[in-house]
Amino acid sequence: MAQTTTTVIQEARARDTVGIFNDVPDAAATEAVSGDSAEAALAFLAEVSPDLRGAAILGGDGSVLAAAGEPERWGEDAAVLFAAADAAGDEAVEQVHIATEQGEVFALRHEGLAAVAVTDRFALASLMLFDMRATLRELARGRADAS
Amino acid sequence: MPPKPHRILLDRVSGYADEAAAFMRRRRVARRPFARLYYPSGRSRDHAGDSTAGAELFVAAGRLIEVAGKRPKP
Repeated sequence: MAQTTTTVIQEARARDTVGIFNDVPDAAATEAVSGDSAEAALAFLAEVSPDLRGAAILGGDGSVLAAAGEPERWGEDAAVLFAAADAAGDEAVEQVHIATEQGEVFALRHEGLAAVAVTDRFALASLMLFDMRATLRELARGRADAS
Repeated sequence: MPPKPHRILLDRVSGYADEAAAFMRRRRVARRPFARLYYPSGRSRDHAGDSTAGAELFVAAGRLIEVAGKRPKP
């Protein structure tokens, strides 16, 4: 069976997937997301993610649209996390996954919105990030329909 | 020649010990904390806890874990 070399596959991957990740946060894109729809999106995320302890949805400007618990603290701590993540590299980060002994933290920027989630240890990372991305996509779609 | 009975027992015990050692080794690897960042270009990067960036990420994550609190038991 003919095989493609790994280098070629990696090049193709970089070429073909770059478009998928082009939607880096845009502060202007967060307008018109209502608190109610963000709350509903957060409730959906909690429902589909059994390992979730808490989460927050933020606008591109860092404002908290919905949070499980104290919105101010979620906003502050999410801002610190994104700032630390952005400072760690030479470009803005898209996804963050940090695993500690106490739990796991996921953060994602998508379509001008951001989501931060805390789960139990050993949560399925790909599934969690998929759910967060789907939640933000639905929220953004609702925003686009409203405008 | 069939093995002596005590050899069967020893083999079984050492087999269990090997299994336990492998389990502990896998568990130790799986429990190791990490901080992984993904970029829009598709690349990702790990940051060790003893690096400056890694330490900042772990502190920020710790604060978020604290604000999320414990999950209520059903």
